[in-house]
Amino acid sequence: MPSMLGIVRRDADEIRELRPRTALGALVVVCALLVLTVRLYQLQILRGDEYSAQSVSNFRKSLFVPADRGMIKDRQARILVDNRPSFDVFLTPAFCKGKERDEVMTKLATYLAMTPEDVERMKQDYQRSWTSKDKLDKFRPYLVELDIPRDHVDVLEAHRSELSCVDLIPTPHRNYRVGSSLGHVIGYMSEVTPEELDDKPDEFRRGQTIGRRGLERRWERELRGQDGRENIAVNARGQHLGREMDELLIPENERLIAAVPGNNLVLSLDERLQEAADAAFLGRAGAVVAMEAKTGFILAMVSRPSFDPNKMSGRITRAELQKLNEDTLKPMLNRVMNENYHPGSTFKVVTALAGLEEGEITATSTLFCNGGYTMGNHRWRCDKPSGHGSLNVRSALQVSCDAFNYALGDRVGLDAISGMAHRLGYGQPTGLDLGREIPGIIPDSKSIHPSTGSERSHAINAAIGQGEVNVTPLQQAVAYAAIANGGTVWTPQIVRRIETPEGKVVREFEPQLDVNNGRGGKLDVKPQNLATVREGLFAVVNEPGGTAYRSRLADVHFAGKTGTAQVMKLGQKQKLDPATQVYLSRDHAWFAAFAPAEDPEVVVVVLNEHGGWGADAAAPAASKVVRAYFELKKRDAVAMKAVQ
Amino acid sequence: MSLATEKKLDHLHWPLVLCTIVICSLGVWNLASATKNALNPMWLAQSKWMLMGVLAVGAFLFIDYRFLSTAAWPMYFAALALLAGVAFRGKKVLGARRWLQLGPMQVQPSEFVKLALIVLMARYFSRDDVSARKGQYGLVDLWRPFVFVLIPVALVMKQPDLGTALVTFSIAMTMIVFAKVRWQSLTALFAGGIAAAVFSWERLLKPYQKSRIVTFLDPQAYAKGAGYHAIQSVIAVGSGQWSGKGWGEGTQNQLSFLPEQHTDFIFSVWAEEHGFLGGVLLLSLYGFLVLTALDVAANARDKFGSFLAIGIAALFFWHAFINIGMVTGLLPVVGVPLPLFSYGGSSVLADLLGVGILLNVSLRRFMF
Repeated sequence: MPSMLGIVRRDADEIRELRPRTALGALVVVCALLVLTVRLYQLQILRGDEYSAQSVSNFRKSLFVPADRGMIKDRQARILVDNRPSFDVFLTPAFCKGKERDEVMTKLATYLAMTPEDVERMKQDYQRSWTSKDKLDKFRPYLVELDIPRDHVDVLEAHRSELSCVDLIPTPHRNYRVGSSLGHVIGYMSEVTPEELDDKPDEFRRGQTIGRRGLERRWERELRGQDGRENIAVNARGQHLGREMDELLIPENERLIAAVPGNNLVLSLDERLQEAADAAFLGRAGAVVAMEAKTGFILAMVSRPSFDPNKMSGRITRAELQKLNEDTLKPMLNRVMNENYHPGSTFKVVTALAGLEEGEITATSTLFCNGGYTMGNHRWRCDKPSGHGSLNVRSALQVSCDAFNYALGDRVGLDAISGMAHRLGYGQPTGLDLGREIPGIIPDSKSIHPSTGSERSHAINAAIGQGEVNVTPLQQAVAYAAIANGGTVWTPQIVRRIETPEGKVVREFEPQLDVNNGRGGKLDVKPQNLATVREGLFAVVNEPGGTAYRSRLADVHFAGKTGTAQVMKLGQKQKLDPATQVYLSRDHAWFAAFAPAEDPEVVVVVLNEHGGWGADAAAPAASKVVRAYFELKKRDAVAMKAVQ
Repeated sequence: MSLATEKKLDHLHWPLVLCTIVICSLGVWNLASATKNALNPMWLAQSKWMLMGVLAVGAFLFIDYRFLSTAAWPMYFAALALLAGVAFRGKKVLGARRWLQLGPMQVQPSEFVKLALIVLMARYFSRDDVSARKGQYGLVDLWRPFVFVLIPVALVMKQPDLGTALVTFSIAMTMIVFAKVRWQSLTALFAGGIAAAVFSWERLLKPYQKSRIVTFLDPQAYAKGAGYHAIQSVIAVGSGQWSGKGWGEGTQNQLSFLPEQHTDFIFSVWAEEHGFLGGVLLLSLYGFLVLTALDVAANARDKFGSFLAIGIAALFFWHAFINIGMVTGLLPVVGVPLPLFSYGGSSVLADLLGVGILLNVSLRRFMF
């Protein structure tokens, strides 16, 4: 078979020719395998630690253990705010994708009876986790629903296996035992916003609630405590693998890091007096402050209208929130320290003190009221058109004569009035440990604008607490306390001490001088001048003809001053109904009191917004608070005796 | 045992047999770890396929491999017919039609198409008289082999199975390179390849295939999305470090962070649990397999046997290289099984038959 042999020989030749190519092929193969080996070396040896860590973080799920927030108690350790056990629902987006996501969300909506609004929010938050710049965001559980009812907890527990990406976190929630009367003092809690999270990623976690307004916000750091952590092992679908696997995969000291509970606040506030003050106030809007005259500690603090902290901290609907924000009475405004009011006649103590200190008048010198005061071609009218006749500083306060003060203001001048006002603590924040506070406005020769009138006319207006003079009820309390206690200007405080959960005192607060008054917390006026003013204030309540004579108490003497502050004339706003129009054009009613007049312990300031006459709409409430103060004092003394 | 059989046993390529047995054993052992939590013991099914493969190879060794040359066309058409059957009546799994129900078995014809194509190409290059073509192949001379490969590749792409299409095409190209082709033609082929790639990108590739390639280029940007597989695989491999976490102890594998850990990502399981040392061992075994195949090619009795061996070398090389490259993040995730390691009856059977062809060619290297 020559031909066959020929083929074979040719084959043999060609196979021999193939050999360089197979050798080359072998070289290529070896190189390719070397490339893979180098790659393995790179991944497993050079970067092995890094990938090891990543594989650990894959199966490790970190659950937070919320810390118990500190309690808030009143001066007698009555609990105003504590925590109650409750559950929050969280969802981890990374463990819940595609079809599973839709199923889980539908189920959650049903089990929790969620509103379409809440469902929409849940979906948006889910989406946000995926689009976030922070790649780990989708591994962080986010809050689906806060504080769910007990029966919903049971339903979720029963369907736990279907909802592997959902966590039910036992979270203590705030329990505000007092209603809305303490809303502004205590504040409320709400979830951190995405902006706050971006701002301080180390301080907050998603779904955490933090204090808003009031003490909850001001003392957030003390109250919050420190969240603990629990690390568990999960598979790729986020399902917990059980205790056994936890023990196998997670070092013991990392399995549970206990939470550190927050500290308790003990307030100077007396819950019973607070209730009394709230009940005594009969207006639609306004404020009541009761303060210890000799220390500056707050005893009661009402701002009306208010809000219910339980509602605000819980699941408040968007509609309810909107209603609160659109309410013309502004329930979220703390009127005690965050709104400007003309003080009206309550400011006459400032004019009187300025006049006495400047030597423009003495305790006995008189001025004549003919029903008004004329300067240039302008006449300022007195409340009593027929005139009060001849008055001294004491009787001018008693009957609240405007003309006397116009004349006195014109004599001492604007800067003397403003100087005395600053000494009393007006025109600057008082420094109450409750958060943001406005400074009020005290005009002086430098601050006034020529177009608003001459300096003299400003002085005349300021003399009766009108014009540009604006104060807060809290500043009134500080000023009247200084007059009452013989000349010490205190920084008001509401927190007496901070305690650990076990009751160990961490920090005790001592009375604090208001060093911002320019005189190191001292009023720096002659004692006899202060006494003269106090006599006038005593007469207001306790002598016939005094503007608050009807509000006097039988068993305790208190002193004080009425105020009826004119409100700036409103433009004819078409949108307002006539009733509102009338309400808004009524004067603000003031009463500032201290008691007992002989040795003052307590200062009470009442502001009744658009309440009308101070004598009618504010003095009776102040009188009731003063009476309540002494009744409680008596009751406590009896109780003390019983204990002993 | 007859004398002839005894002599044949002497000539049998024992190192190759041993290497195959070692890979198969490690494969089953590894599969047992990868599917520890699965309901059905896949390692057992895999062993059965391997046993079936070994029996088939044993029977095949009694036949002279030259018989394959005669059967090349029928085999090729049979394979194409099965492939066409998949295209129209195939079982759809995860959006792709790759399996064909034959009686009680599910067959993946694309695995056998590779073998049929290797045989047909070997037949073509061994019978074609190169000297009639001025001693070297020009591009135009190669139109027939191109048609051979493009028909099955097109059918596989239709399933769609980008990985298998790529491997099939690469095997054919490797065989063409080993035939006497002018270097200019190779250059032209390379350019044509790029053009084809661009064309496929624009017209042929499905969005999910494109996204795989895109995520390969930047997997971190797609973590937990399309790049999730790639990243989790690299984490698994990297976390193996020197000696691995131990059999059945790989957290990426056992806790299901690795996707498809019993098929495409089986190497990640191995690398996670046996580390760099285990990885290098396995690479060496595949290296030995491929180099042996090239050696068989260089020492074959005839051109047909030689080209068969080159085809099989290419089959193992491309599968191993693309698979390991892909799970270590060097190449895009295209879905190619690792020979004798990934779970899959058709793949195991085809790979063992490939080894059988090598043994057959090597066995008869001295016979005329």
